[in-house]
Amino acid sequence: MSTFDKNAVEESVRLKESSSGSVTIITVGRSDAKKTVKEALAMGGDRGYLVVSAEPDPHDSLTTAYLLARAIERAGPFDLVLCAEGSSDVYAGQVGPMLSEWLALPFLGYVRKVEIKDRVIRCEQTLEESVRVLEAELPALVSVMSEINEPRYPTLLQIMQASKKPIEEVGSELLIDGRAPPRLVTTVGMTAHAMSRKRVIFEGSPEATSRKLVEALRSEGVLKR
Amino acid sequence: MPLFKPEHRQLLKMLHPAREEEVSDVLSGLAAFMEEKISPLSPKFDSLAEKITSARKSLLENGICLIPYPSRYGGLELPFSAYTTAIELAGAADASVALSVAIHNTVADGIFLFGNEAQKKTYLPGIISGKKLASFSLTEPASGSDAKAVRTKARRVGMEYVLNGTKMFITNAGEADLYFVLGATEKGPSSFIVEKSAPGLEFGEDLPKLGMRGSRTSELRLTDCRISAENLVGREGEGFEQVKTMLNSSRIVMGALCVGVAQVAYEKAVTYSKERKAFGGRISDFQLTREKVADMVTGISAARLLCLYASRLKEMGLEFSSEASQAKVFATETSVRVCDQVIQIFGGLGYTSEDVHRHWRDARLLTIGEGTSEVLRMLIASRELAKSL
Repeated sequence: MSTFDKNAVEESVRLKESSSGSVTIITVGRSDAKKTVKEALAMGGDRGYLVVSAEPDPHDSLTTAYLLARAIERAGPFDLVLCAEGSSDVYAGQVGPMLSEWLALPFLGYVRKVEIKDRVIRCEQTLEESVRVLEAELPALVSVMSEINEPRYPTLLQIMQASKKPIEEVGSELLIDGRAPPRLVTTVGMTAHAMSRKRVIFEGSPEATSRKLVEALRSEGVLKR
Repeated sequence: MPLFKPEHRQLLKMLHPAREEEVSDVLSGLAAFMEEKISPLSPKFDSLAEKITSARKSLLENGICLIPYPSRYGGLELPFSAYTTAIELAGAADASVALSVAIHNTVADGIFLFGNEAQKKTYLPGIISGKKLASFSLTEPASGSDAKAVRTKARRVGMEYVLNGTKMFITNAGEADLYFVLGATEKGPSSFIVEKSAPGLEFGEDLPKLGMRGSRTSELRLTDCRISAENLVGREGEGFEQVKTMLNSSRIVMGALCVGVAQVAYEKAVTYSKERKAFGGRISDFQLTREKVADMVTGISAARLLCLYASRLKEMGLEFSSEASQAKVFATETSVRVCDQVIQIFGGLGYTSEDVHRHWRDARLLTIGEGTSEVLRMLIASRELAKSL
């Protein structure tokens, strides 16, 4: 499971523990994504819902959000949707906002604190140099940042119990209807960053080498004076 | 490198095909927990910069000791081989924590096998869930593996037993809440549960050790120590057979712990051999390094298999004392040999770096503790020679 997703699961379980309700874990992926759903159920989710994608390549963000929206609707009534600020791998950060549009929900993004009182959700959102406090009526959609909590490690007993919790699987083709968006973005390649090195070698005594290094760092602007 | 590897998954699948998914889920969850909470602290436990207390508690509360016990005591009812593997993974995460936890769970095994129902209800859930820490107190200054020669005396006085004697090299002594103590009554060696609060129970200083430095080892003194007669485990005179049975299981576990120690040291050496350059090439390209790598991994695989074979015999209710001893002798001696070769591959860095030679120092204990290699060879040979071929 993506580390940010763990924050979202943890927050949902904390909200359940501090008030009431239940947590449904929903994801889109290949059939081996069931392992991820089980992991989230071990953390405290009550039931799982897996949209099994038949596509050989991952969907683009818009389709992922669409499939999640249809799955959320099929899973039953809800008050709050929590998701990560982005995934650990591509970190596009698009699914949360797009999902809120598909579900026509208020979007409270990149939050570090969540409180709910009398069906009003109040969130702290981290901005560059300030913290913005937002409120919305439920139902709503929140994307969380990693600083919101420290995700729990499920105990072995919770892991065992998770395997007994229900997981509903549905093929993605069943959720694709006339409203489904076409694929707008295709990933054509993904490679590791190529880091260029200057490969400068200084020779001489330690003192002379140190001086040359300091001069070089100054001329590159790494050292300011 | 992840602690729970495809080869663990494959072996457990071969042993328990019907339970593969739940066993793998539990062990991969446990491994993820230890990779985050135990492994990073391991060098600090060795250098005594940090105590293992908190890490051990969190590991116990995560449920490692629940694995082989029935659900009526809060256990997970998973196969013993899953527990054996769990301790191997713990040994790779940190040997001292693994040792402390394994000894603790040996007491749970004794109470589960030989305690009456009241003792099981009173003590077992607390021990296996980690709420209470336990210590197996067998060895004495004058009797190591020779349990029959126990000198600690237990005298029945009314509804109590009065214990007098000294135990030596006791893991978890002073930290544990409960002590499984072997003492001699008129009918012979007998087992007792002694709570830490018992009057007359005292502990010595933490003994400095070559390895396993994170685990506490000390003397335990019983001076007119009074305990309830209800704390006798089984009947008087049954203690020797009880501890023999407990040690059989414990020997498999100690072997597995050493497999974990060897595995983590081996991985460090393999990584280093691919980075270290000499004579214009990587030392992993040299035939003599490759021979070491091949021998090390073959030894580790064989040791792991022996531990799981003995575990499976135990699960099936078959005789396994010789196989448990074979597993321990082979796994512990293999571990020492592997860790020695790891130092050799690292060269001067291996001899001077705590983070390399600590594995050798850790493994070195277990050719001695829980039955020396010499005593175990006597047991193995006796059983073999008694067979009619």
